[in-house]
Amino acid sequence: MAQLDIIGVTKAFGPVKVLHGIDIAVADGEFLVLVGPSGCGKSTLLRMIAGLESVTGGELKIGGAVVNDLPPRGRDIAMVFQDYALYPHKSVRDNIGFGLRMRNIATDDIARRVDDAAKILQITHLLDRKPGQLSGGQRQRVAMGRAIVRDPKVFLFDEPLSNLDAQLRAEMRVEIKKLHQRFRNTVVYVTHDQVEAMTLADRIAVMKGGHVEQLGTPDEIYNHPRTTFVAGFTGSPPMNFAPCTIGEDGGSIILDGGATLAVPKARQAQLQAARGKRMTFGIRPEHITISAEDGNSLQAEVILTEPLGSDTLGLLKIGQTEMTGRFAPDAGLKPGATRAVTLAMSKFHLFDPETGVSLQ
Amino acid sequence: MARLSPLEASERRLGYLMLAPAVILLLVTALYPIAALIRESFSHNVLTEPWMAKPWVGLDNFAKAMGDPRFWEASANTLLYVIVTVPGAVAMGLGLALLANQPFRIKWPVRLGLLLPWALPLVFAGLIFRWFFEFQQGLVNNALLFVGLSPVNWLTRETPAFIAICIAIIWKTSSFAALVLLAGLQTIPKSLYEAAEVDGASKWRQFLEITLPMLMPAIFVALIFRTITAIQTFDIPKAMTDGGPGKSNETLAMYIHSTTIDALDFGYGSTLAVLMFVLSAVLTSFYLRHTRRDPSGGRH
Ligand SMILES: Nc1ncnc2c1ncn2[C@@H]1O[C@H](COP(=O)(O)OP(=O)(O)OP(=O)(O)O)[C@@H](O)[C@H]1O
Ligand SMILES: [Mg+2]
Repeated sequence: MAQLDIIGVTKAFGPVKVLHGIDIAVADGEFLVLVGPSGCGKSTLLRMIAGLESVTGGELKIGGAVVNDLPPRGRDIAMVFQDYALYPHKSVRDNIGFGLRMRNIATDDIARRVDDAAKILQITHLLDRKPGQLSGGQRQRVAMGRAIVRDPKVFLFDEPLSNLDAQLRAEMRVEIKKLHQRFRNTVVYVTHDQVEAMTLADRIAVMKGGHVEQLGTPDEIYNHPRTTFVAGFTGSPPMNFAPCTIGEDGGSIILDGGATLAVPKARQAQLQAARGKRMTFGIRPEHITISAEDGNSLQAEVILTEPLGSDTLGLLKIGQTEMTGRFAPDAGLKPGATRAVTLAMSKFHLFDPETGVSLQ
Repeated sequence: MARLSPLEASERRLGYLMLAPAVILLLVTALYPIAALIRESFSHNVLTEPWMAKPWVGLDNFAKAMGDPRFWEASANTLLYVIVTVPGAVAMGLGLALLANQPFRIKWPVRLGLLLPWALPLVFAGLIFRWFFEFQQGLVNNALLFVGLSPVNWLTRETPAFIAICIAIIWKTSSFAALVLLAGLQTIPKSLYEAAEVDGASKWRQFLEITLPMLMPAIFVALIFRTITAIQTFDIPKAMTDGGPGKSNETLAMYIHSTTIDALDFGYGSTLAVLMFVLSAVLTSFYLRHTRRDPSGGRH
């Protein structure tokens, strides 16, 4: 186990710049999740940490030592690949023990550690099979076994669950979390599943186009997104956005289409600088509630509903903009009906419509 | 055999259907001549003795072969060529394939270098190497002189001639092995090497633990092909020394050729050919028994 420092790291493939200066200090034992849309450079950064890609600029340190020019085998890291990369001609036992054997660990020591890892991952009965005789979930466990048996300084995961069905993914997610709570290893985990990111991470780095858009705890990322990109990337369904104007009095927000929202006292200070300006209003689906008609309620037309069992998503038309709300299944939403809804005005977000940056 | 699912069964039917034209062609062009050859091997048929007609002589020809020292010597020579040039060409081919699999910036010179020996006619290769190993002006002896060694009378002494012929055969045939192995190398996923790299395996261990075992099926194919052609070794020793000095490097194929074409003894020549066919069948069946195992443990 060790601290991992990513200092001003850049990457270019020939003339194409892929990473533009990444700075992340991953503490010893921390679980860092890299999220972001396809092509933003998550895998590239992870492979650079592993030593599978060269570092164009900046520094990578593991346990305080610069590893830029060390080959993967010199870095004492373990990696779980998206396609698992199990050795097809070796038994599960030999797959898991391979890294130990390459490091010249004594045979009986290897056997003991492989058995321990297999027990933890509940694959003891599979040890003598070949990867071709395993299901996807079982292969995933073997790939994990190959990583944990080594007890490396840093664990790297590249979308390890993306090839599993939803149920298995949820199961393995819990399993990974348990393993981390048990061993407290330093982990860098790539995913583009924001549920995985939220549930697993100590901290999340949201990446976009080769840079880190925001680095923070799941709570910070979810409740204090610094940009519309981060806000739109987290939550399912993501945050609703609506163009608006800040009232000249600094105490109200006027959504395009006419609805006026009163801003509670506690948050009015934040609005002063933006008085009279155009802004992007943001609110999460769970902060829209069905209410009795009163001075603060808005008229919303129900366009369609998506029952999820535990709750029901409703696509609403408020003024000119469509917003999705998350409601109790017994709220009685009917497509075509018009209902009174209230927005939790202590929870709204405002972003600069030009830059997308949150108004702090 | 396990029962087939409907999909597998229909796939199998389609397979047979697509195989049919090739099978029919094979029956006409291969099976008929083989049958004719076997019939011939049981008869006395010497073109210089037309008054004898072509009587059926049973196993006489085979008995003659068993007591024919030239047959045994030619068989032993052939086996020796198999033992030396089959592993030699496959090992050399593996080296070439590994080289060609490197990420070169310009690929065509490597590919051309691989294909050229293969595309060259065998006799041509034999003649080139005969010239290389010439006593007076040969490249090899010139090179030996250059580094201060005395020249060797390559083609007129038994063992040096054998060595020279083997070198020529290996050069000529390793490129085909390399092509087969290169195709095999390219099916090994890159991520396995990355995983091994992370697991701490050196390049050499990666070769031993991943490349070699995963290449086994391709290596077997290369070995089988090379073995079959090695049993038929003819052109290169013919062009280089004509089996010489004397008959010391004569192969079975050369003996068959001289029996049928020079001595016009088609009956005995056919018998020798049948015996050569048996040798091929025995050697290749040994390989086939080993290729039945699937290294990934079934399920594709
Ligand atoms: N070997 C390479 N040569 C050139 N460009 C590359 C190479 N590998 C990746 N890239 C480019 O780098 C960018 C980042 O790729 P990367 O694989 O890191 O994305 P990612 O965030 O992991 O995406 P995904 O979620 O789809 O896996 C992409 O634009 C990709 O085209
Ligand atoms: Mg990726």
